[in-house]
Amino acid sequence: MAEKEMEILDERGGMDVGEDVIGDRPRRYQRRRPRQVVPEYVDWKDIDYLRQFVPERGKIMPRRISGISAKDQRRIAQAIKRARSMAMLPFVAD
Amino acid sequence: MANRTYEVMYMVNPDTPADTIAKLNEAVGKLVEKEGGTVVRMDDVGIRRLAYPIQKKQDGYYVLFEIEGSGQEIAELERRMRVNDMIMRYITVRVDEDRKAATRRREKREARAAKRTKFRGAASEAPAEA
Repeated sequence: MAEKEMEILDERGGMDVGEDVIGDRPRRYQRRRPRQVVPEYVDWKDIDYLRQFVPERGKIMPRRISGISAKDQRRIAQAIKRARSMAMLPFVAD
Repeated sequence: MANRTYEVMYMVNPDTPADTIAKLNEAVGKLVEKEGGTVVRMDDVGIRRLAYPIQKKQDGYYVLFEIEGSGQEIAELERRMRVNDMIMRYITVRVDEDRKAATRRREKREARAAKRTKFRGAASEAPAEA
């Protein structure tokens, strides 16, 4: 039933579609923000930039939503973690 | 010894008087120089609101140093910061390699952009960014 919903989304959006293998069959998903351009140097002190990958709850946005490459996602995640340890970003926010 | 660049940031208890913080910053600079490093940049960020309380404090006084050296001075500096109870948090990040990677990435990007405009030629003056 969830799969049907996803298929409808695909037909409507037709943007970037990826697949995640969770369990026995791949789950289809649609990137929310296709093809993001990430700066060459991700500064862990640039909180305003990093905030766009930290939703309200304070968690790091998954790649399937953020729409950035795996390499860039690693760099961004690292920067967010550094900023967190200096209390510039929250670990949890509620 | 290979020269490395580090960013050292520490957070001082905001209740400490300003002249004590100034003295601390000076001491950090002197220590780095004594151990054979150089201070490239010193940025006194000042008091900022913390994202979560540390030692029951809502604010912190941030200071950022950019240091060039062998790594020896960093070891000594971290040892001192650990025992200093004015300093609530500190972080050291080695940046030279990441910066080098960034310039490589930029060159690659620019080369690709140049190729793209050449391919499109003078027919379309404004290259539409995808």
